[in-house]
Amino acid sequence: MRLSPEQFWTYSEWLFQHNGLRDGMILALALTILGFLVGYLVSVVNHGPVEGFLKVAQNIGQLFTVDIPKFSFRRVAAIAGLAFKESIRKKILVLIGIFIIAMMFAGWYLDQNADYPARLYISFVLTATNYLVIVLGFFVSCFSIPQDIKSRTIYTIVTKPVRPLELFLGRVLGFAGIGTLILLVMGLLSYVFVVRGLNHEHEVETIDANGKIGQTTLSNKHTHTFTLNEEGRGTTNEVKGHRHIVSKVGDRIVIGKKIDDLTARVPIYAKKLEFTGRDGEKNEGYNVGYMSEYQKYIEGDSLSMAVWEFDGVNKDLFKDVISYDLTISAFRTYKGDIVTPVGGIIYFRSPDEKVESERESFKVKEFQVDRRSIRTKLKGFKEGQPADLDFFKDIAPDGKFQVVIRCQDRGQYLGMAAADLYLRPADLQFWWNFVKGYISIWLQMFIVICFGVMFSTFLSGPVAMIATVAAIVLGFFGFFVDQLQASTTKGGGPIESLIRVPSQTGSQIELDLGSPALEEAIRVVDTWLLTGVAQLKNAVPNFDQLGTADFVAYGTNLFGGLLGRHLTIALGYFVLTSLVSYFFLKTREMAA
Amino acid sequence: MATALESGPSGSTSANDPTNVIVETRNLGKIYRDFWGRKKVHALKSLDLEVRRGEIFGLLGPNGSGKSTTIKLMLGLLFPTSGRVFVFGKDATDVSKNERIGYLPEESYLYKFLNADETLDFYGRLFDMSADERKERTAKLIKMVKLEHARRRQLKEYSKGMTRRIGLAQALINEPEFLVLDEPTTGLDPLGTRDMKDLILRLRDEGKTILLCSHQLADVQDVCDRVAILHQGELKELGRVDSLLKMQDITQIHASGLSDDAKSRIKKIIEESGGQLERMDNPTTTMEDLFLEIVKESEQRPGRRGGRGEN
Repeated sequence: MRLSPEQFWTYSEWLFQHNGLRDGMILALALTILGFLVGYLVSVVNHGPVEGFLKVAQNIGQLFTVDIPKFSFRRVAAIAGLAFKESIRKKILVLIGIFIIAMMFAGWYLDQNADYPARLYISFVLTATNYLVIVLGFFVSCFSIPQDIKSRTIYTIVTKPVRPLELFLGRVLGFAGIGTLILLVMGLLSYVFVVRGLNHEHEVETIDANGKIGQTTLSNKHTHTFTLNEEGRGTTNEVKGHRHIVSKVGDRIVIGKKIDDLTARVPIYAKKLEFTGRDGEKNEGYNVGYMSEYQKYIEGDSLSMAVWEFDGVNKDLFKDVISYDLTISAFRTYKGDIVTPVGGIIYFRSPDEKVESERESFKVKEFQVDRRSIRTKLKGFKEGQPADLDFFKDIAPDGKFQVVIRCQDRGQYLGMAAADLYLRPADLQFWWNFVKGYISIWLQMFIVICFGVMFSTFLSGPVAMIATVAAIVLGFFGFFVDQLQASTTKGGGPIESLIRVPSQTGSQIELDLGSPALEEAIRVVDTWLLTGVAQLKNAVPNFDQLGTADFVAYGTNLFGGLLGRHLTIALGYFVLTSLVSYFFLKTREMAA
Repeated sequence: MATALESGPSGSTSANDPTNVIVETRNLGKIYRDFWGRKKVHALKSLDLEVRRGEIFGLLGPNGSGKSTTIKLMLGLLFPTSGRVFVFGKDATDVSKNERIGYLPEESYLYKFLNADETLDFYGRLFDMSADERKERTAKLIKMVKLEHARRRQLKEYSKGMTRRIGLAQALINEPEFLVLDEPTTGLDPLGTRDMKDLILRLRDEGKTILLCSHQLADVQDVCDRVAILHQGELKELGRVDSLLKMQDITQIHASGLSDDAKSRIKKIIEESGGQLERMDNPTTTMEDLFLEIVKESEQRPGRRGGRGEN
């Protein structure tokens, strides 16, 4: 799994430094203006310009003067309870049955021979749950209000002192309630499925004469080798993403429980990664071609290096050892000795570069995580002189330090991105990460329900569902708008494309209309249009970004900042859909 | 067209003070349009009427006459195309008026998967009533509509009569001052109809105002104080039931033990003025006759209003 930098922003970084708040505000403002304009136009058609304006003003006024102040949780709870009962009556719980059947078949087909069976299992359960509850969200939310209108039961509701906001909220919470229930059951079943599916035991198959090195029996289609230390303890080697603890009990060697596959690493990422070129100049890192979109490269046997800057690392998280994981790729400009990996050196240093650890050379383990560590009591250099150092006293007294990587082999390159090196304090519990994965799914379901109920306040059931599906699918194309705006897609914006298509001007050729002023004008208008589209893009949820199954599957802690962001986004959609629904319910003739 | 800024109801047409007018419609009109805004039906044409506190007001008319439209406009289920409706002096689209209204729709549109207790509890919660209050009201109402034996059964198992009764209970959950009953006796057997009518009269005696809409002319005649008769979206007749049913130009004589000769003599005597009459007053026709006559008249001379009763 590759984390993109924005995935490890903290919550406040996202909100303030990276414009989460600003974009949200702009979007809110744009939608408010748009909503007001559309509302006013509709009102003008029905009531004429002056009274139309008064009607709109009246409805907005009533939201704040009457409908919010007189809001009643008891009414919301009553409507939510009804929606919950209605869903149960519609036999929604059958979904759990479908899920159980899916898991039974999956048990046959999930390949124990895969390199990382845990990832496969976890991805499967999370993806299956995700799809099922999103479909559930579509179905329960889109049909309920239209059904009430069709059967006219809505007459007995809206002739009671029920306010539009309560009607919306009640539905949303009721359906979210049933979704929560189903997710809880599915989550519990999934957890048992994953843990039991991966569970296996090994015995000792062979052991050497010293009783130190041995091999385990075959279980779940793999074996391990293991080495014991003087105290009779150790671990097996890593096979299929896990190791086992090995210990000596009396004369017997016991292969114990497995570790590393169901876990939640808590990576501490650097604040930034900077590159230095071959002559010691600062640069962006070298681009070696197609694979360099994510990682940038440093050149071997030169002054080129990559420097990660860490900040605010809490020393209490580490005892004697600082563990860190490294995922580096190599790019060879010549084949050379293909068996020997490309080599690099790594060292830690203080931000003022006066204190640094001894340089440690390593061989790049491509396509896998290199689990490394450095002791907190270490040898190094203080202002050029060899010295015994204490990591948190000498190198990082205030939690700030740098990690430097260089490539040793001339003509070869090492590639890395900011997320490819992270410190790894003690892991968190897997189950908690699993729960967080489910919270993520819950948020997606909640957004679907909000949209479904919103559309159902003014569209018939099937149309509301198509609209909801369309909104979600549009969200998946959000990246395309980003690309357009960042001009990485060739052919220009909407107007330029419109000219290029009929005039058969290929996207690789400069647009030539014979008038530079006209071309510039088109570009300016396109930029404006794209900025508008980019803002509107935010109005539909991007489920691609909201999915967090990979975090759980790859054993990386789904950290609070990201979940908080998703929570905020969901809340934003909730407010948006509430308001839209309010105005539609308020201005709709229920008996028409 | 009246504007949103227009002042509230004046009650000027009422003999009493404005607080005694529960519902007032002013020049109320409703045009149903299709999706493209084209006119489909002119369901209601400038209706002016009042429902006064403490009366049972009947709304009569053949199918498609605009009765249901009027009720829906009063409840805010529809918005007027022209004119306005005031309920308790508030615009009909104001949700807060619903605190004081009970509504029994045409076919008791209730949630069939709930039982009687759950239904009443649910509607009670919509009035923000506390749990104790809901429990007390539910027990009382279920007893009142005689559904004690079926309170735990889902409404989908209910007969039509039982559904009407739970519908009525639902409409009374908030002890409303104003009760709108749409066809309250449909689906009820004669006994049930009698019970319903007694109940309506009792509710009136308790001080509630009731708006009743019905095809059962006998029911209207039995319980209503005043009626409005609608046809083709127009108000045709409005007045007290007793005066509407009075036939002003006919004299009815109730006499007994008279021979043919005597009858002819009485006739003669009456012609010459004088004699002893056992009883002599204005006879009444049935509501049904009146209704049919009005419909016939209206078809012959559309747009004109009859002039039988006082307002």
